[in-house]
Amino acid sequence: MPKIPLFYGLLILLLSLSVSFPAAAADKENCLMCHKYRQLGRIDEKGRKISYFVSENIYNKTVHRNVPCRDCHTYITKLPHDPVTEEVNCSNECHIKPPFSQENFSHKKIVEAYNKSVHGIKSDDPPDVKQAKPYCKYCHQNPLFMKVDEKYIAGKTLLRCLNCHEREGVTKAYTHITHRLGHKTSRSPQEVVQLCSKNCHENVEMMKKFKVSKNTLEAVETYNESIHGKAVALGSEEAADCLSCHATHLIHDVQKKDDPESTINPKNLIRTCKQCHTKVNKHFIQIDVHSNVEKNLLLHMINIGLTFALYGTFIGLVGLMLFETYGRKKDGIKWMLKKGTTWRGLSRRIPKD
Amino acid sequence: MPGEPKRLEHPKTVYFVGFIFGLITLAVVTGVAYHLSFSPHGPAVLRPLKAKFEKEKKSAILDEVRQHEEFEKHRHFHHSVSYQQLPEQKRPVCYICHSDYPHGKNKKVRALLNMHTQFFVCETCHLEQQEGQAVTYKWYNPLNDDPKGPFFGTSYDPATGNLIEGDDPFSKISPYIHAGGKMESAIQRQDAPLALDYIKVKDTLTPEQRDNVKKKFHVSIKAKGHECKTCHSKGGILNFKQLGFAENRAIDLEQLNIAGMITKYEKFYIPNLFQ
Repeated sequence: MPKIPLFYGLLILLLSLSVSFPAAAADKENCLMCHKYRQLGRIDEKGRKISYFVSENIYNKTVHRNVPCRDCHTYITKLPHDPVTEEVNCSNECHIKPPFSQENFSHKKIVEAYNKSVHGIKSDDPPDVKQAKPYCKYCHQNPLFMKVDEKYIAGKTLLRCLNCHEREGVTKAYTHITHRLGHKTSRSPQEVVQLCSKNCHENVEMMKKFKVSKNTLEAVETYNESIHGKAVALGSEEAADCLSCHATHLIHDVQKKDDPESTINPKNLIRTCKQCHTKVNKHFIQIDVHSNVEKNLLLHMINIGLTFALYGTFIGLVGLMLFETYGRKKDGIKWMLKKGTTWRGLSRRIPKD
Repeated sequence: MPGEPKRLEHPKTVYFVGFIFGLITLAVVTGVAYHLSFSPHGPAVLRPLKAKFEKEKKSAILDEVRQHEEFEKHRHFHHSVSYQQLPEQKRPVCYICHSDYPHGKNKKVRALLNMHTQFFVCETCHLEQQEGQAVTYKWYNPLNDDPKGPFFGTSYDPATGNLIEGDDPFSKISPYIHAGGKMESAIQRQDAPLALDYIKVKDTLTPEQRDNVKKKFHVSIKAKGHECKTCHSKGGILNFKQLGFAENRAIDLEQLNIAGMITKYEKFYIPNLFQ
């Protein structure tokens, strides 16, 4: 066995001691001792499966990985703890100080915007309405850090940072910032539409609980029929999704149309449309984005006419070809692809002289 | 044949161009058919038919369970991960009635007890040992006669400190009984059809009849499992090292990481459970 000099031995020892454990850092109180096991859970009194499992490998890669468990789950005061009945309050302060700030981090600002918005739970809401409104967790899963290809996104810019800063720290900070900068939201338009529609706005029976207008009830349907909806459905990253028009950069401040702060209030529409469209004037904003052609008899008739014209042409053409084919076969003309043509021979109906 | 126009063999490029146009035509036809039938952007004439067909196949209970699973994903916040599941017919018979989350009575420990179902089969804890019977514990995999591991939870990843998942998600520690020089599995596997039959007719049986059947299922099964200390202590019934646990992991399991945790459980939460 080769002898390792004492200096290298010490170096190896030091390096092995300095290996960091990111999960352990946030989990000072060892909550994962139990919660890292996937079968930790139960079937509750209503027969629903409730899981208490937190994957340590995934939690390490989330934006909350440095937040100690009890900063969010403040109601846990002893170990082993009582069955949990309280919800996490996202406007709590946690023991993390963001860079350039002396104050503890909190989502207070966003929660305030959310509380004011139509989605916020109001004290005079009936219980079933309270239940049906989306709380933070409904739309947000503990976001994962996305692995960004350094070369692709950072390239030479990042190389310049590395002249002064350490590689790991800068790369992390850079990816943290850049993955949020592409669009108004970090989700794709398709994801936003899916999130707003599924289980909520497309569920007409549930939306009736909120006593919303007929336009709102039909919103998902009319959006999907609109030019924005079709572009998004076909994969556009630029076309407007729900949040592009219904919220400001705060994202959570979705308001009713009558609210003067609302982005879709007629007074604010010019500003809202201008986010994408350059030439916006008072006539432009009168275009009905969630238009329902059936509301207007004339439009409805034109729509039916155009539909007939489109399918009539297509079906007519295909039908003509089918009749022609049938007729030729009946007349004894042969179908011969091999010789370089589809039809051969003369019709029986043509006199042979 | 007289009168037939003379046709020449076409060059090969014509076939190629024809093929491309054929493809385009096919794509247009498919697109229009989809637009007409199911697309959310077209008249969708076949959608009501599909909805009617689906409605007939719908089950209210199944819908509710699925909807809850969807809500649970949002409620949980910490990403829910789906793991590979054993095929239904390969699962040990107990799961037919008791599911993967069998414990529900004692509020303080039910989730903790359920957690253990990931590591061992029910009989490991609930086997009624006959007098003079020697029991050995081994890893058991319903899909593999001789599982070699590495098994989940037997060692830590030195880079992260997290448990190593391994490639074998199904092996569990299971009891074997020595009988005449041979090792026999103590798992109750033979009664699966009977259990399925019981589930079907359960509601039509009288309480006495139900008890009779239940007795039949639970031969050499005791209602109350082992205490924590039976395994989580030095010299417990499970020899962690022999079962393939790494040395530091075995020590952690014997001491359960936090000193006094077991005592606390025994004092405050377990007494009612083991009476």
